[in-house]
Amino acid sequence: MAADWAGENLLRFPGRGGGEPEDMSDDNTIMVRRTLRSGQSLHFEGNVVILGDVNPGAEVVATGDIVVMGSLRGVVHAGAGGDSNAAVYAFRLQPTQLRIANRITRAPDGEQSFSATPEVARIRDGMVVIESFQTGPERQG
Amino acid sequence: MGEVIVVTSGKGGVGKTTTSANLGAGLASAGSRVCLIDADIGLRNLDVVMGLENRIVYDLVDVTSGNCSFKKALIKDKRFEKLFLLPAAQTKDKTAVSPAQMEALCDEIRDDFDYVLIDCPAGIEQGFRNAIAGADHAVVVTTPEVSAVRDADRIIGLLEKEDLREPKLIVNRMRHQMVKHGDMMSIDDIIEILAIDLLGVVPEDEMVVISTNRGEMVVLNNNSKSGQAYRNIVRRIKGEDVPMMDLEDSGLLGKIRRIIGLK
Repeated sequence: MAADWAGENLLRFPGRGGGEPEDMSDDNTIMVRRTLRSGQSLHFEGNVVILGDVNPGAEVVATGDIVVMGSLRGVVHAGAGGDSNAAVYAFRLQPTQLRIANRITRAPDGEQSFSATPEVARIRDGMVVIESFQTGPERQG
Repeated sequence: MGEVIVVTSGKGGVGKTTTSANLGAGLASAGSRVCLIDADIGLRNLDVVMGLENRIVYDLVDVTSGNCSFKKALIKDKRFEKLFLLPAAQTKDKTAVSPAQMEALCDEIRDDFDYVLIDCPAGIEQGFRNAIAGADHAVVVTTPEVSAVRDADRIIGLLEKEDLREPKLIVNRMRHQMVKHGDMMSIDDIIEILAIDLLGVVPEDEMVVISTNRGEMVVLNNNSKSGQAYRNIVRRIKGEDVPMMDLEDSGLLGKIRRIIGLK
C-alpha cells in the first residue's frame, strides 16, 4: 500500500485530523534513549518511553504510561497523578516494585522464573494484574 | 604524559586496594613507570598492603596543602625499579582535600609517569569525588554479589555523569564452582546489568590474604591463579588481547571429575 503524500490516500488515524479526535489522555511523551542506572530517577508529567533498561535502584515516575523497551528491574510508578487506567509495559517485566495510581505491588516472594515475553501491568477490578502483551485483533483494549 | 586511572567500586571490601596494588606492581614489573595514589584519607590501606607503611614521612594532604612537593612525599618501592606510592593521611579525613586540588595534583604528577593509579575509597561522597577529579579513565571493581553489583551500577552512573565514560570492569573473588551450581552470579548476569566492557576476572584465592598480611603483591606469585589473572589484566591495560583464563578446576580432583563424567 503506497502512501500518497499528496494527501489523497493517507492512512487516517483518529485524532490526527483525519477523523473524530478521540479523547486521549495527555499526549506529552518523552523518549529516553539509554539505560537508567541505580540511583537515577526520572519524574515526568505524561508518558515515558525508555529505550534501554531500568536497573534495580532506578526509579521512573510518570502521570501517564511507562514503556520500557528492555528489562524493567527498578521501581516504576505509572498514573502517578491518580490515573488508574495507566499501564506499565516492558520487554522483561521484573520490577522490584510496581505502582499504578495508588496501588503498590511487587513480585511474589520466593524463587520464580520471570516470563521472557513482553508483558503489561494494569489495574483490573481494583488489582494490579500482569498480562502477556499482544498486538493484533486480540489486543487488550 | 601518563594515563590517570581511578580504581573504584562504590561498595567497600570488594578489592579496590588489592587491585590497585597488584596492577601497579604488575605494570611496573612490565617496565612502566607507575605512581600509586591512596585517596582513602583517614582509612589508608594501600601502604599496608604494599608493606610500605613504616616508610611514610609525608602524605597526600601534606602535598595538597603545600607542606612539601609531591616528589618528597613519594615512596619508592624497593622491590621494583619504577613503582612509587603517594600515601594517604591517616590522621585527617576526606574533607582535607578538594576535587580541584586532586585534579591539579594529578596534572602535576602525570608528566613523570606512564600510569597513575588512584585507589578510590568506598562510597559516593567527598572521597569518591576527590578520587575521580583528576582521572582520565575508570576501572570499576565488583564481586559477583547482588549488593556489590547494585553499588557498582550506581558508581557507573555517577562516573558517566562526570564524563568518565566507558569504565572497564573487573570482577573479583569469582568462585567458578559456585557459579556452575547456580549459587553465584555469573559474569553474564553481571554484565547484563552493568553493561560495560570486561577488563578481567580474578578468582577467589587464599594467597591474596596471605600476601596482604605479608605486604606482598600476589601478581608476583607464579603459582597463584589470582596473580595470573592480574598479570593478564596488566597486559590488557597495555593493549594486548589476552583471552580470559579458564577457571575450570584444573587440579587432580577436577581432572578425575571430568574423566568420570561428573560436572
